[in-house]
Amino acid sequence: MDLKFLASDRVEALVSHLMHQKAVYAPQRMGRHSVALDKVTNPAAVVLDYSRTMQSVKKYFQPPRDELLKFDLTDQSFAAATVEPLDAVLLGIHSYDRAAIDRLDYNFSQGQPEKNYLKRREGVIWVGVSYEPDEFHFSGSVGIGPLETEGFDVFLSRVGGGYQVETVTEKGGEILAGFDLPQAEQGKPSPGHFHQHIFLPQARLNEVMAASYSSPVWEETAQKCVGCGSCNIVCPTCYCFNVEENVDIKVTGGTRERIWDGCMLREFTEVAGGEVFRGGLAERQRHRVLRKFKYLSDRTGHPWCVGCGRCTAYCTAGISIVSIVNRCVSDFEKHPTTAV
Amino acid sequence: MAAKPRVAIFDFTGCEGCELNQLNFENQLLDMLGHVDIVEWREAMDDRPGEYDIAFVEGSLSTPDCIKRINEIRRRAKVLVAVGACAVQGGINSMKNTRPIEEVREEVYGKDKYLFPTLPALPLSSVVKVDVNVRGCPMTQIEFLKVFTALVMGKQPVEPTSAVCVECKLKENECVYERGMICLGPVTRGGCDAQCPSVGQYCTGCRGLVPEPNLKAMEDILVTHGLSVNEAWKRLHLYNSHELEGLKS
Repeated sequence: MDLKFLASDRVEALVSHLMHQKAVYAPQRMGRHSVALDKVTNPAAVVLDYSRTMQSVKKYFQPPRDELLKFDLTDQSFAAATVEPLDAVLLGIHSYDRAAIDRLDYNFSQGQPEKNYLKRREGVIWVGVSYEPDEFHFSGSVGIGPLETEGFDVFLSRVGGGYQVETVTEKGGEILAGFDLPQAEQGKPSPGHFHQHIFLPQARLNEVMAASYSSPVWEETAQKCVGCGSCNIVCPTCYCFNVEENVDIKVTGGTRERIWDGCMLREFTEVAGGEVFRGGLAERQRHRVLRKFKYLSDRTGHPWCVGCGRCTAYCTAGISIVSIVNRCVSDFEKHPTTAV
Repeated sequence: MAAKPRVAIFDFTGCEGCELNQLNFENQLLDMLGHVDIVEWREAMDDRPGEYDIAFVEGSLSTPDCIKRINEIRRRAKVLVAVGACAVQGGINSMKNTRPIEEVREEVYGKDKYLFPTLPALPLSSVVKVDVNVRGCPMTQIEFLKVFTALVMGKQPVEPTSAVCVECKLKENECVYERGMICLGPVTRGGCDAQCPSVGQYCTGCRGLVPEPNLKAMEDILVTHGLSVNEAWKRLHLYNSHELEGLKS
């Protein structure tokens, strides 16, 4: 494998090199305590050493608010929004967020393909970066290590004084062409030490989660939960949405928008006639967790959780998805026959 | 609904900030006036009695006279819209409901208290049927416009029920809690596009509580983040005393 070395003080030059070829989106400092992905205008603003962004790269392919069409009430006509490929370099992406996009690709290409999402996905060059797991990451438990290069075109692994640069695909080689980098010294980047672990692999979890349908853990979690929906809205593999129409003040036309929605929200579970089919927070919590560790995994064999830790990190009530799953595991090991 | 609905605007106990916010629609006001005839608005024109299709009503009900007037307005309005925290959920005024009414009356009016009959501050919905709510303190302008256009088109507006947190996360606002402040966003109804957290302020809860709020869990969140139990409930009471007093009994 051909490994190059990128010294920390040359990161800015690499960003400039990439910006000469395509638009670049990368993590940048947003507030005093947070980093967010944004279009790069100043190469010096890129932050490669970070624990997580509140929103993943999903926001570029399925935007939080996505205009689907404009309608004209005067002649009853409408025009679908023009959707362009992102056609950009996504730089500084963690392996779990890349893995989340693989899952969304599956969701959005099954059955009726989701045209807008798939269109925006085109033309992306993925440049990954390794990370040091913090108190919330648990990607190791779902098989996605911090050095996982799958899906990336170029991967940067943090080593002393900078990054080892691995060209993973031909596309990756092309985007780096002309940017001189010395050979990397031998020496391994840190594989990352996780502080959070799910006790069982997904192959066993399907069975465990099936047996946990009537577990008291859902009601116990609901006691602490205020149902604010943050866990859904920050999840990189949640893809549910609502559709809203807004009419302009002249009442001559308006727009139809798709907006992120989540299964923890009451409105989401309300159907025509006012029936709420998951009335309590316990049912909603159960649904949220089973969507990640059972329903979609039964179909695909993979957990639909990528271990980014966002739902736990942004929960003001301190609810941990790892604790919920491990509680199900330990209950199952004590009473494996309580399957419903 | 007729081609040009007749609109009337009324106020009860409140600061008239919501009405001021209606006059502040500088970019939209002419368009709005093209759709409706305003037949009654004390803040902007002389009183004129009449019939109307839509009544926008600000303020809480806090005197026996208020009760008489709101019943009269309800009788004359096809659609009644409660505008702002006072009208929708009693608002700041309803903080007085946490104390014996006689004590409040004496504190405000002293020896003249017998000249001023007063009631606990009530949201409009405690006395009459309210068709639509426009929440906020002052009322949220973007919500008012949505409600206005829906009513002009003869449609039922959709009332948001999700928490402010959703709108913060959609905008990727740095969480107020991350900045070391406390915030009522997790149990407060959105629909304001997280107006305050978006400019670095915490949510005071002006748009009222989400449906079926888990208040014990919210208390735990506030206490975990540094408030005493007493302070936590004081924060929650600021805009929600009417609802919280109701839950006690």
